[in-house]
Amino acid sequence: MTTRTRTALVVGGGDPADSVGVGLLSAGWSLLRLGDEPVYDDTISAAFPTLEHLDLVVHARYPTLCRRRMELTDLSSEQWHQGCDEPLEAGIRLARAAHGPLRAAEGTIVYLVPLPASAGGEGFAAFAGAAEGLRVLAKSLAKTWGGDGIRAHAVTLDPSAFLAPDDAAGMAEANSLHDPPLGRVPDLTSEVSAIVDALTSDAFTTLTGASLVVDGGLWMPG
Amino acid sequence: MSGLLDDRVAIVTGAGQGVGEGIAAAMAQAGAAVVIAARRAENGEPAAQAIRDRGHRALFCRCDVTERADVDAAVAVALDRWGRLDVMVHNAVSPPGPPRPIQEVDDETIASQIATSTTATFHCAQAAFPELRANGGSLILLTSPSGIEGSGHLPVYGAVKGAQRGLLKSLAREWGPHGVRVNAIAPVAWTPAMDAATEANPTLEARLIGRTPLGRIGDPTADVGPVAVFLASELARHMTGQTLAVDGGRYLGL
Repeated sequence: MTTRTRTALVVGGGDPADSVGVGLLSAGWSLLRLGDEPVYDDTISAAFPTLEHLDLVVHARYPTLCRRRMELTDLSSEQWHQGCDEPLEAGIRLARAAHGPLRAAEGTIVYLVPLPASAGGEGFAAFAGAAEGLRVLAKSLAKTWGGDGIRAHAVTLDPSAFLAPDDAAGMAEANSLHDPPLGRVPDLTSEVSAIVDALTSDAFTTLTGASLVVDGGLWMPG
Repeated sequence: MSGLLDDRVAIVTGAGQGVGEGIAAAMAQAGAAVVIAARRAENGEPAAQAIRDRGHRALFCRCDVTERADVDAAVAVALDRWGRLDVMVHNAVSPPGPPRPIQEVDDETIASQIATSTTATFHCAQAAFPELRANGGSLILLTSPSGIEGSGHLPVYGAVKGAQRGLLKSLAREWGPHGVRVNAIAPVAWTPAMDAATEANPTLEARLIGRTPLGRIGDPTADVGPVAVFLASELARHMTGQTLAVDGGRYLGL
């Protein structure tokens, strides 16, 4: 009996996509990468023509304008579009494009989102809007894709996973975040990727629609 | 709630029918002058007239919230007619289409849901901000329980309504120092969309009511309107960044 290599598609330019991808590769996954390019219905099939199944899709596609600190009143319409509407639409389109390959493998889709999605972030309204929309989308996918054997989750990471150090520090301060009880925020390559990997495992076959905060206890919502 | 919004001026988008009409009526009854910002005159004008017929103040302004110029024009109407703007309520949203999983949703639905929710929220927020800041005003967004718990049948609707919540929390942080509050209401109420949904699915109403502790679906004017009045009033002056579920207790996960 042969066991096929599990295939993961990680979408998004820079971190956290880069580091999580490296971590998955180290854990034995066959890794496919897409960056911040536009997402269409045929994006996956065009980039990987022989692909038949996907065991894991990780979405962390938040182009540069999402991550640039700008108050809403200073944004042009185009900046708003590029910072919120376009990444939200791309994340929705990715789900649509990934459904077939995920169903073929009874795979898992994970949306990585920043803390301001659910906590808000001064200067990051567009980013927070797009990301919270995708965090909720993961729940919607879980509700309908369970019948296809597909699981869907969102994983919230601390601001430093997405933002420049000064912006991340400012957001932590604005949220009155305490020092992480575990002494540090998780390492993207070794620890966040391990949690994403674990979400695909047989031990978690009854877990879907989860919204996990993976930040070393920096922020404890709800 | 009479008098709570005396001397205030509000714009309510999508106020030609449903929840928007109910909020506009409740705000007018509470003393506000209201701009009924709606895409279609055949709904918006009668809604404004009905408020005037009850002795309150309202004007219809044709407004497609996906067009920034239309939103600017609605603000200009408020300023020209009543000299100020205190409350911007963004309620308008395009119909989410029939229930279906994400892989069956067409491009047009995705684009229109985003345009009327996130793009239009940007338009309404940015256009209203100078007046809201000048008057210590309030932005109120109409989101949905689907924007919190997701929706298997209307996944794009859930996503855009969730996006509005991420946005409002960020704006609450940005605008708090300016004295502008930003909150949301997540209602379940009788609207033309709810009418259509229950007509298409005869068991829906009974199922919804069966899962609602208060045992009925809300009324836009009597149930949702007063909550909007509260959020716009001085009673809520220390509340910002919040979402109030006005759904008879159906969603209890907040």
